[in-house]
Amino acid sequence: MTILRYLFYILVFPGALFTIAVGLFMAGIDRKVIAHMQKRVGPPLRQPMYDFFKLLGKETIIPAKANRAAFLAAPVLSFVSLCFIMLFIPIFGFTAINGAADMIVILYLVTIPGAALIIGGASSGSPFASIGISREMVTMMAYELPFVLVLLTVAKKVGGDQLVFNLSLVSDYQAVNGSLLSHWSMIPAALAMLLVIPAEVGTQPFDVAEAENEICEGPLVEYSGSPLALFKLSINMKMIIMTGLFTSMFLGGIRTGFVALDALLFVIICIAVMLVSITTIHAVTARLKIEHLFKFYWTVVAGLALVSTILVWIGM
Amino acid sequence: MIQHFPVLAVMGMFLGAFLIEIFGSKNAAVRNAISFITFTVVAGLVYALVKPIIIDGGVIAYWMGNWEPVAGYAIGIGYEVDALGLVFAIIAITAFWISNLYSFGYMKGEHHLGHYYTLFMMLCGSILGFCMTGDLFNMYIMVEIMTFSAVALTGFITEKDGALEAALKYLVLCSLGSGFILTGIALIYLQCHTLNIAQLASMLSGGLTPTTLLAFALTVAGFGVKSFMVPFHTPLADAHAVAPSPISMVLSGVVTKAGVYGMIRCIYIMFRAMDLTQMQIIITAFGAVTMFVGVSMALAQHDFKRLLAFHSISQVGYIITAAGLGTALGLTGGIFHAMNHMLFKGLLFLAAGAVLHQTGGVTNLDKLGGLSKRMPHTTVCFLFGAAAISGLPPFNGFASKWLIYQAAYTKAAETGNFYYLIITITALVVSVMTLASFVKIAQAVFFGQLSEENKDVKEAPAIMLVPMYILAALCLLTGIFYRPIAADFILPAVRSAVDVVKYIDVMMGEGYAAAAGVYNMAVSNVMVSSWSPIVYLILFVTVFIAAFIVILGSKSDRGATVEVDPKNAMKHSNFFSGEEAVYSHVGGSDMLWGYKYDFKPYYRVMEELHSGRVTDYCNMVVIATAIIVVFMFMFMR
Repeated sequence: MTILRYLFYILVFPGALFTIAVGLFMAGIDRKVIAHMQKRVGPPLRQPMYDFFKLLGKETIIPAKANRAAFLAAPVLSFVSLCFIMLFIPIFGFTAINGAADMIVILYLVTIPGAALIIGGASSGSPFASIGISREMVTMMAYELPFVLVLLTVAKKVGGDQLVFNLSLVSDYQAVNGSLLSHWSMIPAALAMLLVIPAEVGTQPFDVAEAENEICEGPLVEYSGSPLALFKLSINMKMIIMTGLFTSMFLGGIRTGFVALDALLFVIICIAVMLVSITTIHAVTARLKIEHLFKFYWTVVAGLALVSTILVWIGM
Repeated sequence: MIQHFPVLAVMGMFLGAFLIEIFGSKNAAVRNAISFITFTVVAGLVYALVKPIIIDGGVIAYWMGNWEPVAGYAIGIGYEVDALGLVFAIIAITAFWISNLYSFGYMKGEHHLGHYYTLFMMLCGSILGFCMTGDLFNMYIMVEIMTFSAVALTGFITEKDGALEAALKYLVLCSLGSGFILTGIALIYLQCHTLNIAQLASMLSGGLTPTTLLAFALTVAGFGVKSFMVPFHTPLADAHAVAPSPISMVLSGVVTKAGVYGMIRCIYIMFRAMDLTQMQIIITAFGAVTMFVGVSMALAQHDFKRLLAFHSISQVGYIITAAGLGTALGLTGGIFHAMNHMLFKGLLFLAAGAVLHQTGGVTNLDKLGGLSKRMPHTTVCFLFGAAAISGLPPFNGFASKWLIYQAAYTKAAETGNFYYLIITITALVVSVMTLASFVKIAQAVFFGQLSEENKDVKEAPAIMLVPMYILAALCLLTGIFYRPIAADFILPAVRSAVDVVKYIDVMMGEGYAAAAGVYNMAVSNVMVSSWSPIVYLILFVTVFIAAFIVILGSKSDRGATVEVDPKNAMKHSNFFSGEEAVYSHVGGSDMLWGYKYDFKPYYRVMEELHSGRVTDYCNMVVIATAIIVVFMFMFMR
């Protein structure tokens, strides 16, 4: 019975099926809203899903210079690890696998899809991909510092002089004390986190790694068919995971008592977060250069997070 | 019987060294047989100590020649093996056993191999002795044997460019360190008239006089040189770049750990000063600087082994930081990381050695590339090691780093000191920078495009692959079963590091510590834990199975394994803006641009500091030692 329950968690909710469905849906909304902001009509909401199934049916071409095993394994690694991460993020009161992972583990788990993309790009043997993975890695280094600061600030705010890295406890704390966003000292950290999300997902203006019109989608340049579909799907899944992480850290605390209703509210809030942090920024900005991106994250965004850290540390 | 094992292990190693010099200098088979048998027997002797010391929690005391203390004064040389020493001895002998196996394949064809194995076994024997001795001067002698055999082994392949220069730098810097240690020992002897660590621990617990304080500062600095923490790290990069790979493995896996062990022994047991806040601050400060400087220098390197060398420095920084926190959790993380570092860094050096061996000595990151198609096994092993050192779950590097983060953060939260939060952040950010530099190696050496010169590179021979696979398996297993290892193997070592009273009583007689008024420092004995590696095992297995199905299931008439139809050549070649693809490998120097650009001012300073001149390096050592001495005199009187 336990095995069946875990299988359900991993395959249906909140694992693979839920993450895929919500991810694709969010990507649809993202594209539609951007189109409206730019006075276009935009694709239908189901377009990301059509794209996914279309790619699944296409031929998979493996370049002669590629390392075949790594080239094919990388998208699978990315996809499977993303299915797992959602199990550790609390959906308000409900966490599929509680106590198995804390913030630090999640911090590391979200680097695995990035690492998979890097291995895939590197193994394709294309110089475009090599430039892309170099940029991807620098982007990862760039957002890691503010990300770490935000996580430690949340831990300090919730735990006081205790060690609290467990996200479920963060959620419980918010159920009692109101969402962390309503504490004014946490607002800079929340802003920093909102800026970390687009870099982690890889959307404009932080999509230097996949810059289509400079380096032909970087790590993905040689991918086609179902591996490409998996990588594209991973990007969409990251949307729900990163916004979900934001929601559970800063906007948690809602307790309706029904998991389904909680999940619905969770998705709605995630979409709202996405509209702010991914869609709006995407629609109004142009792509940064990689050195500007790195500087931006280590000064402005890390600075924002640091303000919160200091405020929380002195007891605000 | 069992109390003879520590001495027998050390003597056996030295005996093997002499036997090789006598019988093995001509015949390879005899030489290999002697070294293999010696290492196996000694490993057996060391592992036999696990039961009485780690499982039963005992301490073995042994007086050489039965010179027992007279009237509470130690006269003879005493060996004392507690769990702390034994864990480091086990780390050492495991690394040496594997490295010895690898040497058979790697060193084949070099000259004077008799000397090589002699020195190699002297190095091992000295480190075992260092970890097991209970006598301060004996410790110094072992450090000297260790340093000189390490120097000789570093420059062993003398015809290699820069080998002698590196050995010289190593020699000069380490002699400075030895000088500090010897001065410290002399000052202590002047004050206490004994050299037995247990007796010293009871004598020094009453408080430090200015003389013993100076001795303390000098010993800490001396062991700092031996563990190559920043700013004493400078000779290590050169040494690793030229040393044979099995030697690099033990240099980074064991010799630097010996320095850390000496420091822990010194601070926790002999001076029992780890509960002083100032002590914690200065040690963690050095550790954090070591972490960051090590990894940032690694990111800028163009040489495979030099890059790994800077990572050794960085990882030792983690260990020193963790040990310097002065909490049980921190020390657990530190010692665990010491063990894990031996495993994954050993693996990485062996992988580097395999590349170097098979490509005919190329370690320049701009000249390699695409080797994963020629050396698939080495690539797999390298990726395991890279994942472990970058701390990706479920590998062992994650388990120990995660303990270190928790320890550092707990310290920050409990004391409310912002300084420890900075330490935590540094540790976390250094980890992703580690990942970055391994991405650089992966791209520059194993992935990317294969150059013309390396077209005919072959996979490394089995005798080199077997040690690599052993280490890769250990990296994964110690990560998945981290909980029993931390609780049953590392924690006893931590307990013995903080249990000074027992250490003194076993050596000097029951009640000796109580009579001298020694008490143990108070440490909280908690294992905070909310991480279940089994979940990641499931993840890992799922990924593995899924990837396996995908790779097998994809039709084999596509891609690289079959001859590509010339008509379809364009379809299977890399995209090159519509042109015919030419060789265009992105090497190590081209990677991570953007980061390097923004850190230019920092690297300018670093370039000046790493000038390559021994005099500059000596100045750095002396200045840092002066800082330690001044700090201690200002804040610890």
